[in-house]
Amino acid sequence: MATVTNWIDHLSAEEVVGAVYPGAGSSETLLVIVGIVLWIGWHVLTARSESEELSRLARKRHGANDHKSNITDW
Amino acid sequence: MTDQLGALTTIFTEFYYWVTVVLMFLIHVGFCMYEVGASRYKHHQHTLMKNTMLIPLVTVTWFFFGWWIYWAFPTGPGIAPSIMNESTALITDDSTFSAKWYLANTEYMAINLGDHISGVFWAAFLLFSWTAASIVSGAIIERITTFAFGILAIAIGSVFWTIDAAWGWHFDGWMLKILGYHDAYASGVIHAIAGGFALGVLCVLGPRIGKFSSSGEPRNIGPRNPWLVTVGLFLIYTGFWGFYAACNIPIFDLGPEYGIEGLSYWTATNIYVTPTTLSGITFNFLMSLSGGLLAGYWIAKGDPFWTYSSGLAGIICASAGNDLYHPIQAMIIGMIGVVIAYKLHYWVERKFKIDDAVGAVAVHGYAGFVGLVICGFVLNGYPSSGYSVGAMWDGTTYATINPLGQFLGAIIMFGVLGMLPGYVIAKVLHGMGKLRIPREVEIAGLDYEMMEDAKSDEKAVSSATR
Repeated sequence: MATVTNWIDHLSAEEVVGAVYPGAGSSETLLVIVGIVLWIGWHVLTARSESEELSRLARKRHGANDHKSNITDW
Repeated sequence: MTDQLGALTTIFTEFYYWVTVVLMFLIHVGFCMYEVGASRYKHHQHTLMKNTMLIPLVTVTWFFFGWWIYWAFPTGPGIAPSIMNESTALITDDSTFSAKWYLANTEYMAINLGDHISGVFWAAFLLFSWTAASIVSGAIIERITTFAFGILAIAIGSVFWTIDAAWGWHFDGWMLKILGYHDAYASGVIHAIAGGFALGVLCVLGPRIGKFSSSGEPRNIGPRNPWLVTVGLFLIYTGFWGFYAACNIPIFDLGPEYGIEGLSYWTATNIYVTPTTLSGITFNFLMSLSGGLLAGYWIAKGDPFWTYSSGLAGIICASAGNDLYHPIQAMIIGMIGVVIAYKLHYWVERKFKIDDAVGAVAVHGYAGFVGLVICGFVLNGYPSSGYSVGAMWDGTTYATINPLGQFLGAIIMFGVLGMLPGYVIAKVLHGMGKLRIPREVEIAGLDYEMMEDAKSDEKAVSSATR
């Protein structure tokens, strides 16, 4: 996985390769796919939990000032 | 890098943009403080989280596709040919500034010893993206779902503003060539578009419960924590310094760039690669801020909320031409923008029942729009680019700055790329039942459950004696 194993050899090459991260040249597309899956997945998970929270709270029908009873320390 | 002078120039430029990014982070801190200060206690934590979560959402999408759009779309596509490859297609060829290098899976979108600039330049633009999304965030507090805001933030932050930047804030943008569009510090490309987008969303979202009486008269829902709002707006001012610096290229030799034989002319340039100085724009930044504050204090009769916001609106209004204005011109333009934005805010609120909770549409949208139009008159005849200057509507060369081109540019920014997409996306989210929180939740407060869960601990702590 290591792209660089010896800095002296790397920097004294005729053409220095700029990309030095692990998996350079072979893993980028896979990383992007994983990133997109994580991003979309986050939306799905959080949208679901937000919907549940909002429905639960809506069912309780609290008044506009009820939240004040939850404040105990001013 | 093998010679010391070249290395110094490159590393100075890299560090310059890096510093602007750090400074611009304060804009977001300011927006978060401002929104929380403006919202009511029972919505505080959700309001904060909504604005905070746009950071990762816009960042990852800016990495995946937003940055690519900026480099791919200057030609329209299909509207005006690129000066790099003379094609009107998306710029995805092998030319130096092609979008090809900014696909998320290329080696330049990572640590690369041969590229010191892409990451910091990407980040500078990303911070502009956060700002665009954050402007929308303030207008719609206390009634939008976090899910819907996330989608809207990605749309404005990683899609629509980057298209407008490609069109009107890129040295090869078609709006420069055909319209002579000039918007050096983003009156339109950030502020007008984000204000317009927010207005489009607000048209669908509707006002907060209680904002309008049964007879339709608007009620003031003032900031709940004026000190947080104050510090927030000062931080936005502070971050705005970084924003101005980030819109410049710090050191560039324009002689060879313009093809002038034998001439070397090192200077700072604006985003269009035309000369300006960091020193000069510092005059204009402060004078337009002052013009905005003076006009805001006067027209709002000393109301702190509007006075602070007017300082921002003053800068925003003058920003389109602040690379060239005289400082007193910048001050007067800032004053004009504030008066128009303030008057329009209350007229629109009354007439169309639009509840813009923090005045974002006015401060960013109207002031930005007006700033573009004024710029067309004040800078009429200046070249919009340092490259070849030609006739308006030509498209192969660059039109000069002119009132009609600026007016059309303002409509494109505020209306076509701002308000229209905001309205359409909000309509779709509304149709899915995902746009607005239930009425009962809005009344109870978004934070009700969090507060209720913490209640027993809070009680124990408040009555504790040891």
